[in-house]
Amino acid sequence: MPGSASTTHRPEGLIERLRSAAADGGEAKLKVLRELKNQIIGNRTKKLSYIKLGAVPSVVSILSSASSSVDCLLIQCAATIGSFACGVDAGVKAVLDAGAFPHLINLLSHSNEKVVDAGARALKMIYQSKAAPKYDFFQHKNIEFLISLLDKNNENVTGLGASIITHSCETNNEQKILADAGVLKKLINLLQGTTSQRESSLESFATIIKQNPEVITKFVGPENSTTFGSLLELTKDRYPRTRLLACICLTLIKNATSSSSSYLQSVGIRTKLILVLLELVDDFGQVGDEALFTLSSFIEHEEDLQKLAFEANTVDKLCHQMQKESLQAKRLEGIFTTLGNLCSNLEPCRSIVLQSPKALIIITDALTHTTIDVRVAACICLKNVSRSVKYLSAGHFMTDAVIMPVIQLLYDASTSVQVAALCTLVELSKSMDSTVRLNAVWALRNLMFLVDSRCKEEIFMDLKLFPLTRLISDSNACVQEQALGLVCNLVNGPVDSIMYLFTEGLLLNTVGRELRRASKPQVLVQAMYVMCNVASGKEFEKEAVMQQLVNEDDNNQSIIVTLLQSDVASLRTAVVWTVVNLTIPTGAGALARVVKLRNAGVVSQLKNMVNDPCLDVKLRVRTALGQSMTFGDFST
Amino acid sequence: MPVRMVESPAPSNSSGANYGQTCLQPCSLLSVGQAFSGTQNVSSPQKDEAWRVNVRIQGCDLDHGYLCGTMEALNVPMADTPVVTFWEGEIVDTKNHTFFTNKWKATSEVDIEHWTKFPSFSPLLSQVEVDGGKSLDLSNYQYIFMRWKEQYFVNVGADCGLTIAGFYYVCFSCVDGSINGYYYDPNSSPFQKLELKTTNEGRSGFSFSSYELQ
Repeated sequence: MPGSASTTHRPEGLIERLRSAAADGGEAKLKVLRELKNQIIGNRTKKLSYIKLGAVPSVVSILSSASSSVDCLLIQCAATIGSFACGVDAGVKAVLDAGAFPHLINLLSHSNEKVVDAGARALKMIYQSKAAPKYDFFQHKNIEFLISLLDKNNENVTGLGASIITHSCETNNEQKILADAGVLKKLINLLQGTTSQRESSLESFATIIKQNPEVITKFVGPENSTTFGSLLELTKDRYPRTRLLACICLTLIKNATSSSSSYLQSVGIRTKLILVLLELVDDFGQVGDEALFTLSSFIEHEEDLQKLAFEANTVDKLCHQMQKESLQAKRLEGIFTTLGNLCSNLEPCRSIVLQSPKALIIITDALTHTTIDVRVAACICLKNVSRSVKYLSAGHFMTDAVIMPVIQLLYDASTSVQVAALCTLVELSKSMDSTVRLNAVWALRNLMFLVDSRCKEEIFMDLKLFPLTRLISDSNACVQEQALGLVCNLVNGPVDSIMYLFTEGLLLNTVGRELRRASKPQVLVQAMYVMCNVASGKEFEKEAVMQQLVNEDDNNQSIIVTLLQSDVASLRTAVVWTVVNLTIPTGAGALARVVKLRNAGVVSQLKNMVNDPCLDVKLRVRTALGQSMTFGDFST
Repeated sequence: MPVRMVESPAPSNSSGANYGQTCLQPCSLLSVGQAFSGTQNVSSPQKDEAWRVNVRIQGCDLDHGYLCGTMEALNVPMADTPVVTFWEGEIVDTKNHTFFTNKWKATSEVDIEHWTKFPSFSPLLSQVEVDGGKSLDLSNYQYIFMRWKEQYFVNVGADCGLTIAGFYYVCFSCVDGSINGYYYDPNSSPFQKLELKTTNEGRSGFSFSSYELQ
């Protein structure tokens, strides 16, 4: 027959006994502490429930009042506190709020090694949480204390030292203080220790060298062959996490130093590192996830490394892996990030992704994933895959099977869907956020590239709704550049499309004003190509360009001459093309334009440029001068 | 005062082991969006025949010696509509690609036989015979040599009865944008000549467009 449960076995009962033990002392303390520890160990729910009931302050009170001679009580207190702090931020907070920290620190100087060990273990748990207090490395005595921890012959004490660094070292100054104090050397020595020492040392090591070329140059690298050699050696360690951490350190060393330096230049070592990371990716836990991000960071911005990764079949492997069911968000993010990097430059990588039976569908589906980071990674991956002009031209992104939400809308066969997508972009181009504005205008500019007249008209009808002129004069030069590129594409193609610029009235004036006002060469290049394209039109259009570029009443140097003197070859090219278009001899007004250009000093400037260092400029200058001279030489 | 124009020098030999490392300079007439039109002579001993051809540059990556575009053949006898193909080009920049093809059934003898059909190739011949042109610096040369290889049909099926097995040896003039080419396919009539000129689509001048991938 079941009886009623005794209150002593319920949390409330245990708490009662804990409180009275804390007050009365004696043997009862040890017993109740053991019982509590056994209840909460590895059980998050129970930890939270005892924290709520106020168990932590009672334990800390027992610790603070315990005589330093009762070693087993000290050990039980520290172990219980450590257990509360392990893996639960609320536990760390409760432990710190109850004032346990200084008492635990005191335990580190106890004569009994077991007490020291229990104290260090509890403190390590605290420092593994984000809720732990930041350690102040700027205090000399703190550094001394930290070094004394790293010098101890106790795995948990050295582990505590390493955890403090991993948790608290954030700035370049802090990294420098630690490196200068000889901490890196101590950590390297610890690599010879147990697995746990090795792993915590590698983690702290990575923290100290992260994005700090100064520290790396001074303390790590080929000149310090032992350090470098140890790290390389550890990439072959039998424990996956050790191999991963060694790869992370080597990646940080490579990424923080310029490509011209001698760090990790050997193709053999680079390949080896990629292979180690790829093997780790097979682990479907945290190690595998981190290995993916490390691989991605290792190959980022370096095409040679991307080629090596490609040759190691990374793309096939990731395309295969992404097809596994129920992958965690972190894994998907890592796969898309790495694939995105690989496809940023290399067409063969894009080919494999596009030819993989499901890859594109999986990436496309991930655009609506619930986790933001996955959506972003999928989007970047898709963007880089779709850089393939070859596959774009084949319409691979326009078939029903591989339609992507965004691209689908823009390339949809239905005009209304296209317009809806355009409206979204147009809306975004009004955004207060200049990055959003930039990307929207950029997309519109590319969309306008070589579209047929019907599409152009539809797009323009939409564009007219928003003040294109304002985008051309945007406060962000990158937005201006893209907006002018858009206008350039708009007036390219069939000659009638130049009319768009005239129906909008002020547009040509705005472009002309930017040519006189802007300073960024890319903005000037795009603005000048707008003029060039308009100048390839009918007589009145050429005259309109002349009005913008040559003002006879103005005594200042003509804008054409100023821009022809630019150091930027692509800008000089754009200007000379405009002059070529203005001086084509067949036009009725050609002679008058040549005279005006000569009076403005353009022809003599061109004569100075017949040996321009840029071949393209030189050849166009010849054409322009040749055309000007068909009307006779005005040089005398 | 008229000034004397300095003629472009013949391509120089770059010195020592550090050869051929300079990319070609961009040429605005060979940039994305540019269009060309002309003919391809497909005459056989039985019949004189030429197809009208339009070409459009769709992508250009000088760092990797890469160019691509579409080619439209207009009056192809066995096709109801113009036939559009997508091609990819290798730019002979001596860094990414040399004059030797080393694939597509083209031996170095076949290469030289085709390249020598372009008058602008003659100053380069002796060096190309030695090393495929690896030690030449073409960065200031007024002609750009390329190989264009059609990759797929854009608007008709692969079963349309036409072949894209061969490839073109191409010479582009930076001066006026004219393109000459010779089609090579061991199974087709030899030396089918491609002649293209830059088109201005009814404009009185040159017009440019562009896109930029992020």
